[in-house]
Amino acid sequence: MGILLSLPAFVLVVALLGIPILQAVYYSMTNWDGLTTVWVGPETYVNLFLNPTFWRVLLNNGLLLLSVPFAIVIPLGIAAVLHEHVLGWRIFRVIYFLPTAISWVVIGMVSARFFAQEGLLNAILANVGLGAIQTDFLAHENTALFAVAVTFVWSMVGTNTIIFLTGMATLDPSLHEAARMDGAGPLRVFLSITTPQLKPFIQFAFIMSMITAFTALFSLIFVMTGGGPGYGTTTLEFFVYQTAFSRGAFGTGALLGVVLFVIMGIVGLLQLKLLRSRE
Amino acid sequence: MTAGAVIMFYPFWFMIDASFKSTAQFRGAEGHSLESWAKLFDILPVGQQLLNSTIVCVFALAIIVAVSTSAGFAFAKLRYRAATLVFLLIISAMLIPMQSIIIPAYVNLAQLNLLASYTGAILIYAALGTPFATFLMTAFYRGIPDELIEAAVIDGLGYWRVFLRVALPLSVPAIGTVVVLQFIQIWGDLLIGLLFLQNTDLRTITVGLGVLATGRLTDIPVLMAGSLLSAIPAIIVYLVFQRQLISGLTAGMGK
Repeated sequence: MGILLSLPAFVLVVALLGIPILQAVYYSMTNWDGLTTVWVGPETYVNLFLNPTFWRVLLNNGLLLLSVPFAIVIPLGIAAVLHEHVLGWRIFRVIYFLPTAISWVVIGMVSARFFAQEGLLNAILANVGLGAIQTDFLAHENTALFAVAVTFVWSMVGTNTIIFLTGMATLDPSLHEAARMDGAGPLRVFLSITTPQLKPFIQFAFIMSMITAFTALFSLIFVMTGGGPGYGTTTLEFFVYQTAFSRGAFGTGALLGVVLFVIMGIVGLLQLKLLRSRE
Repeated sequence: MTAGAVIMFYPFWFMIDASFKSTAQFRGAEGHSLESWAKLFDILPVGQQLLNSTIVCVFALAIIVAVSTSAGFAFAKLRYRAATLVFLLIISAMLIPMQSIIIPAYVNLAQLNLLASYTGAILIYAALGTPFATFLMTAFYRGIPDELIEAAVIDGLGYWRVFLRVALPLSVPAIGTVVVLQFIQIWGDLLIGLLFLQNTDLRTITVGLGVLATGRLTDIPVLMAGSLLSAIPAIIVYLVFQRQLISGLTAGMGK
């Protein structure tokens, strides 16, 4: 009976995720255009690691990771204020959390306008006397990646704020009161009492943000920049799509997919280790 | 706080405001109009695409709920031999990014001729959603006391009926969490839809919009009207089911 009940889930996952990932490993060592396959062998991996474009793309992933701390610190501050139930906190919570419900396509669409030559950001820059750095942000490699990173942080704010608010609700208020009695100011209480106690929630938000940065930004990049200019905003996940479906190099696409899987596997193990150490 | 709220809300305001302007009004002329909305309905088969999104979501969600509740119940309460192994196999699939399987899956489904219908996309969405849903449902059923299940069995109900009549009704809140979380994922997805719904008539609203945005159309108010329209169902679901969504987001903490 138990086997019968769990069979549909098992078959679905094995047929559509398990077998394809094994196929991906096989095809990663071939030259494959979707129809004909020519076996090459493990040297495809060596060739990839010797390819400067691959490292250029991976560098984009690395740079994007640098924005993750902002996606942690800003929500931590917001959650601390909302937790004190400031006036209108319920409305603030709804607004801050709204981006979580919105697709990356829509977010990218609006964000592209914001960073465009005639967009709001440039108008603001001109108004505060920084007209000299006005530019079409999406037209240059470095600024385009910056724009993608800012958009990523913006849309993570809601999700991470909620995670931290949930965490703060589990804390013991007596510790805070004791610290306050001892004359600690609100900032001091936040830094020395709240933050350390929130450690598991911060770790969780950090890992979820990392996973998002590596595997969930395809649509955002597709709509905002198409991976460009050049390889300026091509991340590994976007490179998989581009390689396979724009260039028809299915074998290399599969190979990049396997590399992405291995990286995510390492992140997953890290998460597991953190969970274990807590128990 | 208010400044932050302005930054967070500005994109929504921009979408609403721009969508009710004609191109000339967007460029600086006074006033608002419905011109861009009319144009959107002219160039995009909005009704068809909203229907496509709904069909894909409903079927994928139905599969996810059906397989994850039954499997979760089996793992938590029936504990057959090898249950732990099967459970771990399913759960570990959470680590597989969709980009890693998409190329072989695409070729497999193309060979089975499933790219010209909703079926391929529905199956892929269902498979991608199942591992986390199973994890969630298993955790939920583990929280139900064994005595409750045993009592029902002693009353003469078979396990299948216990599952349908006792466990399933109890798990409505957990199912709600799964449905809301997956709905937002599937509704807003671009990659799977782009590849697995090859036929233009089958495209979801998100795919239709994504393609429009990268095409020649540079009419910003029309794009904003489309964005807003595609976002509305997800926003409604979010506003109504906030609690389920929140518990889903933190469920991965493994308490």
